[in-house]
Amino acid sequence: MTTREERKQRAELLKRVREERTNTVQATQSHLKEQQAIRKQLQEIMREGPATVPDLASATDLSTQTVLWHVTAMKKYDLVKEVSFDGEYYQYALAEGPNS
Amino acid sequence: MTPDMQVDAMVVGGGIAGMQAALDLADQGYQVALVEREASIGGTMISLSKVFPTLDCCSCITTPKMSAVAHHENIQLLTYTNVTGIHQNGNGYVADVTVKPRYIDEALCTGCRQCEYACPVDFPNPFDANLGAVRGIRIPFSTAVPQMPVLDIENCLVCGKCLNVCPVDAIDLTQVPEQRQIQAESIVLATGFSTTPMDAKAEYGGGQYPNVISGLVMERLLAPTGPYGHVLRPSDGKEPASIAYVQCAGSRDETLGVPYCSRICCMYAIKQAMLLSGALPMADITIYYMDIRTFGKGYEQFYQNARAMGVEFVKGKVASIHEDEDHNPTVRVENMDGEPQIVEREHDLVVLSVGMIPRYDPHLIYDVAVATDGFVTTPSANISPCETTRPGVFVAGSAAGPMDIVDSIVMAGAAAAEAAAYIEAQHTMAPVAVGLEAVHA
Amino acid sequence: MPEKDQIKKPQTDSPEEPVKVGVYTCYCGGNISDTVQCEAVAQQLKGLSNVMVSRTNMSMCSDAGQAIIEADIREHGLNRIVIGACAPSLHEKTFRKTVERAGLNPYLYQHVGIREQDSWVHHNQDHATEKAVRLMSAGIAKARLLDPLAPIELRAEKQALVIGGGVAGLRAAYDIARRGLKVALIEKEPFLGGRMAQLETVFPTGRPAREELDGLLSRVTTHPNISIYLQTELVEVKGYVGDFQIMLRQRSRGVAEGFAHTKAAIAACPVEVPDEFNFGRTTRKAIYQRYDGCYPSTPAIDWEHCTRCGECLKVSEQGINLEDNYVDVALQVGAIVVATGFRPYEPRHGEFGYGEFAEVVTLPELIRLMALQEEGQPLTVNNRPVRNAVLVHCVGSRQIDGIHEPQDDGLVNEYCSRVCCTATLHVANELRTRFPTLNVFDLYEDIRTYGRGHEEEYRHAGEQMVRFLRFDPEEMPEVVAAPEDDTSPLLVRVTDHLTWEEQLEIPADLVVLAVGMMPNPISDLIELLKVAQGTDRFLLEVHPKLRPVETAVPGVVLAGTAQGPMNIQESCAAAEAAAAKVAGLLGQGLVELEPFKALVNPDRCDGSGECAQVCAYEDAITIETMLVDGHEVRRAVVTPANCAGCGACVAVCPNRAIDIQGWTLDQYEAMVDAIAADIPGRMVEPVLEGAPA
Repeated sequence: MTTREERKQRAELLKRVREERTNTVQATQSHLKEQQAIRKQLQEIMREGPATVPDLASATDLSTQTVLWHVTAMKKYDLVKEVSFDGEYYQYALAEGPNS
Repeated sequence: MTPDMQVDAMVVGGGIAGMQAALDLADQGYQVALVEREASIGGTMISLSKVFPTLDCCSCITTPKMSAVAHHENIQLLTYTNVTGIHQNGNGYVADVTVKPRYIDEALCTGCRQCEYACPVDFPNPFDANLGAVRGIRIPFSTAVPQMPVLDIENCLVCGKCLNVCPVDAIDLTQVPEQRQIQAESIVLATGFSTTPMDAKAEYGGGQYPNVISGLVMERLLAPTGPYGHVLRPSDGKEPASIAYVQCAGSRDETLGVPYCSRICCMYAIKQAMLLSGALPMADITIYYMDIRTFGKGYEQFYQNARAMGVEFVKGKVASIHEDEDHNPTVRVENMDGEPQIVEREHDLVVLSVGMIPRYDPHLIYDVAVATDGFVTTPSANISPCETTRPGVFVAGSAAGPMDIVDSIVMAGAAAAEAAAYIEAQHTMAPVAVGLEAVHA
Repeated sequence: MPEKDQIKKPQTDSPEEPVKVGVYTCYCGGNISDTVQCEAVAQQLKGLSNVMVSRTNMSMCSDAGQAIIEADIREHGLNRIVIGACAPSLHEKTFRKTVERAGLNPYLYQHVGIREQDSWVHHNQDHATEKAVRLMSAGIAKARLLDPLAPIELRAEKQALVIGGGVAGLRAAYDIARRGLKVALIEKEPFLGGRMAQLETVFPTGRPAREELDGLLSRVTTHPNISIYLQTELVEVKGYVGDFQIMLRQRSRGVAEGFAHTKAAIAACPVEVPDEFNFGRTTRKAIYQRYDGCYPSTPAIDWEHCTRCGECLKVSEQGINLEDNYVDVALQVGAIVVATGFRPYEPRHGEFGYGEFAEVVTLPELIRLMALQEEGQPLTVNNRPVRNAVLVHCVGSRQIDGIHEPQDDGLVNEYCSRVCCTATLHVANELRTRFPTLNVFDLYEDIRTYGRGHEEEYRHAGEQMVRFLRFDPEEMPEVVAAPEDDTSPLLVRVTDHLTWEEQLEIPADLVVLAVGMMPNPISDLIELLKVAQGTDRFLLEVHPKLRPVETAVPGVVLAGTAQGPMNIQESCAAAEAAAAKVAGLLGQGLVELEPFKALVNPDRCDGSGECAQVCAYEDAITIETMLVDGHEVRRAVVTPANCAGCGACVAVCPNRAIDIQGWTLDQYEAMVDAIAADIPGRMVEPVLEGAPA
């Protein structure tokens, strides 16, 4: 349980650190924006059914390398799961992770 | 500044050599400070899959030693700490160290990882050769010691989500680097190795081809904790049906300034080939080599087993590698067996057996000589292989040149023996008695 | 989940505490989980009596894995821990420490090997999984009956025995002595220095071997903590780590230390025998020094060749005694370092012409030949100047079954001897430098110049115009006599894979065989110490990474080439590592022994003495007369320090009056019942005396 006073102090601290680190915070913000845009695309396709990395890449403008990295990241944090293997590629589907 | 830590020995580097040297000293009753610049001890070894020639899983060897270091009553562990300078102090030394801020209160954190799950940004994970992802605040890897996260302030939104979920209020954004001094009688340098950079050889793609990877990346692909959980190629996640190894890709190559043999590459390539035959039973595996150097105990038998298992060994120098639009790499080889010919072969994935270069130049912090190869000079290489040019400063593991794990561990034991003898001589202060011991006639 | 019957096990501290077992199945990073379905195992074990917690982990031995166990012990009050993982030799001790940290007696831990005994030896996943369940059920069955135990603490003798006076033995002795411990260094020959003394310059330093060796020798021979016993062998070993009672047998030297007439006495001796130091290329007397400047400088009498003619006595009556006898020396040592070294592989008669042609020599022989060669004169072999020398690698190493003839024991030397490539190139460079008109041809399979400074020897050889030819191991080079009118006595035929299998004939005046390393013949010592050999005949370490210089016998460690091929640098590193282990073991003056020793139940023992008769260990079991309730009775009494815990006594006792602590008959029976249960994991529950069912 945090008191209102503590919450206020924490908000002020965060504000101060953000101001001190404007450059890195902004860079991270744009990194996050790009990440969210890509994830949204991938999630939309996978909502239709399981897909391989090349499936996902051809349905978007993304390279297979970029898709693989995001799928790997989403898998690590339980947003995506592997469902099958077609002999060459794994198929991925949305998992019931915290943000799906 | 008066030293705030007084120990018998300071070990610089928490990889396998440093951990072993620290344990061997601590087991003899000496007080040891182990300083590691990364957030966890374990070194390069903890990132490997299985290790030759026993094929034990790497964790089975490393993690118990990490745990033993963390729990040893005679070892003080400083992770995420840089050594910034060493000064002589009588016959001993004083080291300046900087403990970098984790932005975590170590006394409070329980390692529950709720912060990591709450963090919204993913970044390429250096522990997984950037193939996997890691959050802005994270425990570096699952078996890390200490089990404590690091907040990467350079890659942080300062959104406060982690602060909100932490059940013990352990996240502290006000932390600053802390300067400390360690006084030690003796120092063991165990600063380890890096690998020759992937972009060093333009004829092998200069690091630009996604499916031309280094041996260390293949270690991550083979490790059960690896980024994909399977062996997949990085360009598109395809399971490779044909994998090639290019030996001496960064060693025995004067154009790279690495004229020496890196000593481990033959064995790791053969080991990976064996592990791949197990993981991908249908895959073709080819090793292009000049000389196979399987010199250690049980290594030659290991090599012969790999041949018997169907790994193809091609005696030939790989002249160049190029890729097509689907990133399939093709190697051009001058074949040394049979008729003279140059052949081109396409593979799904090519592994460069990159060599070992020094990770760190101790010269930066102290006047310990390094040789032309960049590794620490050992002036009495035969009789006292751990001695450096400074009395009381010893070297262990691959800081003294390319070395495999077995040899690093033995050398760490040797460095511990040297350091112990040096400490003992300082403690007793009595001049060594001279006089001929009676020979029994 | 079925209703569980909780077994209550009487304990010394709290007799009513119910048994609560925590069970952990390790993935071993895939080593186990690739074959055994670990989750299924954990699930099945959950249903067993007394099991409160059953979990899996990628690696239980990691700090995170160990933390889970500690937390479970504290949270659930667990008092027995069972882990299915690798072999107990690897991590049983790791987990005992974990359990101890959580406040539990470390011997309430049961290790089950499901890697070496299961996942590594089976392919069928279902069967391997069932086997894992059965093995772990047996572990749980045993764990229920475990009692808290305490290790036996014994005083450790602060002295070590080092066997072998070569460079590794010297290095180990010096490092143990520097830590304040006493050392008895024994050498079977009359002089120290071993094989290294026979070398000229050594890589990678380029310095004379003797100069490097002498530095170490002078430190060893002047160190007050080191006693040197020459011409001495170990003949008896009793006891255990910390307290070995050993007997040394030292042969008389025949010449007293400080003998003043060495040169004259040697000159007076009429006996000439081939000098083994120079591989028989020179002769020496029956009273001799190993080499000029050897340690000790006092000569020794070669009893096998001395005719007792007395010529040396005529030089000096003082200091020479021609009585060949032995003295036995009894010592107590806490640890033993085995540094018995190697011998060069001896080629068979006719192997590459060895023994048939005087011009075919081994590399160690060539090194002595070159040392004897006068500076500035051309190299001569068999009275002919050498123009072409051919060096052949891998003789006696990397042998292939079916191609090479096996040794007497039926085995070929499959291993690489590690040292010979660089040593050969080092000598090739010396040949080219000292005898610039001499052509050197180097015939190899793979050049293995792996170490720091080794590749430089290879590169330098190329620069020095050493000509390399590469042969395939299945097509060995041949050495034959040249036709009468040829300029050179020999021809070497080789198929060269560097020039696309060109067939070449090289006229040769000298053929040098780069022979590999074989362990010195030490079968008596192996039997005495009960240490193990590998399939390569070298002594075997416990584990190359976890315990690289220790043998399976506590207190017996390895240094140098007794363990496997090594160069000087590697031998010294291994010897120092061995010294660190000895210092760690004996430095505190105490050693701990496992408590798995025989224990007599005096209420059941009738003093029949069958246990004492069958016991193979001296003074481990004695039958003593004692007073019980005023009656004189005979009972077996165990001296735990002498008991090896082998269990032979348990098997012969007619009254079940003797047991091995930690491995009791009750525990074995419970394990057998569990393994043999009809349904895996559903064993017959053991019935405990006095415990409610």
